[in-house]
Amino acid sequence: MTKPKDHFADEETILSQRGPGSRDQRKRAEAADCALPSRRSFLAGATALFGMMAVGSCSWEEFAQNNFQRMTKEEIDRTVERLKREYKAKYGKEFVVGAQRPIEGTLFAYGLDIQRCIGCRKCVYACVQENNLSRNPQIQYIRVLRFRNGSMDLEQSTIYYDPEKVPEDGYYYMPVQCQHCANAPCTKVCPVRATWSEPDGIVVVDYNWCIGCRYCMAACPYMGRWFNWTDPYIPTNEVNPETHYLGNRPRMRNVVEKCTFCIQRVRNGRYPACVEVCPVGARKFGNLLDPDSEISWLIRNKRVFRLKEELNTQPKFYYFFAT
Amino acid sequence: MKGIVRNLGLTSTLAALLMTAAAVCAWEGVAGTRTEYEADRPPYQVIPPQQDPGSQEFPVPVKPLPLTITPCRSCHGPEKDFKINWSRSEILRVHTGIELKHGGIKVWCLDCHHPSERNFLLPLADGQLIPFSESYLLCGKCHGTKFRDWRHGVHGKRSGSWSGEKTYYLCVHCHDPHSPRFKSLEPLPPPSKPRTPQEKVAAH
Repeated sequence: MTKPKDHFADEETILSQRGPGSRDQRKRAEAADCALPSRRSFLAGATALFGMMAVGSCSWEEFAQNNFQRMTKEEIDRTVERLKREYKAKYGKEFVVGAQRPIEGTLFAYGLDIQRCIGCRKCVYACVQENNLSRNPQIQYIRVLRFRNGSMDLEQSTIYYDPEKVPEDGYYYMPVQCQHCANAPCTKVCPVRATWSEPDGIVVVDYNWCIGCRYCMAACPYMGRWFNWTDPYIPTNEVNPETHYLGNRPRMRNVVEKCTFCIQRVRNGRYPACVEVCPVGARKFGNLLDPDSEISWLIRNKRVFRLKEELNTQPKFYYFFAT
Repeated sequence: MKGIVRNLGLTSTLAALLMTAAAVCAWEGVAGTRTEYEADRPPYQVIPPQQDPGSQEFPVPVKPLPLTITPCRSCHGPEKDFKINWSRSEILRVHTGIELKHGGIKVWCLDCHHPSERNFLLPLADGQLIPFSESYLLCGKCHGTKFRDWRHGVHGKRSGSWSGEKTYYLCVHCHDPHSPRFKSLEPLPPPSKPRTPQEKVAAH
């Protein structure tokens, strides 16, 4: 017999193949397979069981869940229903867990007028509220850097400024968040493909698929990613129940999260929360593929730059000077 | 009313002939009559944002004026007939709530407000008076580049939908026309600093 020895195959099956056994014998062996688990299926089941025990509170459905990109429509629906149940139990509210696909013909980009920004941090806290960010330990997707006029040295900037009033004389402000790079280094290093660029340009994370290795955080040159070192804490009365699977649904411990341009808002046609809240209108958002959008106009007509362009990350986050 | 306007127009034509006050002429000529040299020229058409080719319709919320000042005509009108002060004056009399800080010393009341039709602002080149609700048209006369940026949604703020119906904020929503500089704000608290293990021990 030329067939190589298969360590995982059922012994009885191997015997029946080797021996001069009749068709009846083989049939009997198959019947035995059905009645008792084969070694292979037993091992698979046992591994899964141990895995489940190891992750503790994780349900079987959650444990067996596939990567979001490979899920069928039915699987997504089932997952969404499960998440709704879990969030209802935890926060006592009816959640909307969206799974909207990208809108055809969109490529999102962002514009930020650093001449207008006054550093008031309203965007930071609107983002915390909208995206269900952990209050303790604190996670904030937007960092507002303060620079001295005339300097663009990132090392000389600070995010901890706290004057009575802003803007301060002699300083300017530059908020930094995920730049949604077209050539994103964070998505390349992920060993399990838990993070990727969507067709509309948004870089997203499947929190359930993330293994928490934090390679993406090391790869990102903008510090645009955050890790949940402990269970995130959100006050129950402040939870935002309008969520998206790839966006602001409540996260769990040991996963990486990031700005998603408020995917739950922009895929329904709305502006991101930070754009809506900015008191000086420094933040612009729109569709790059639409030549009439405000973002396309400002890229054509204003002086723009992108942060750390020399790294060839090709961000879709444009800082501009309005005058 | 029409008679008054025509009389004013006549007066202004005479004034122009006498080469006294060219600006007064322009203001008064607009209230309905067109001067001779304008008659053969087609009126200049100002395109408001909603007629801008290639853009959608943008609803504009109107900022309500304080109720105390809306019937300007009750003082500045034919009933009381206050004298129009043509010379630049910094005395604002009863308008105590107004702090005039627009463009240094160069700008004063009648640079924007219509001298006789006080419920309106100065007209555009087509002669149509600008109501207070469309003050952005008047702002655009001096701040042309900002006006252009604003019409493309790059200066100022829009809210609503990036793809559909959105709201423009008008100039006066963010800038007080009498003191247009954006007021400074109190910043929200800075992020908490990460602590080293030693600091954590010391804190307990």
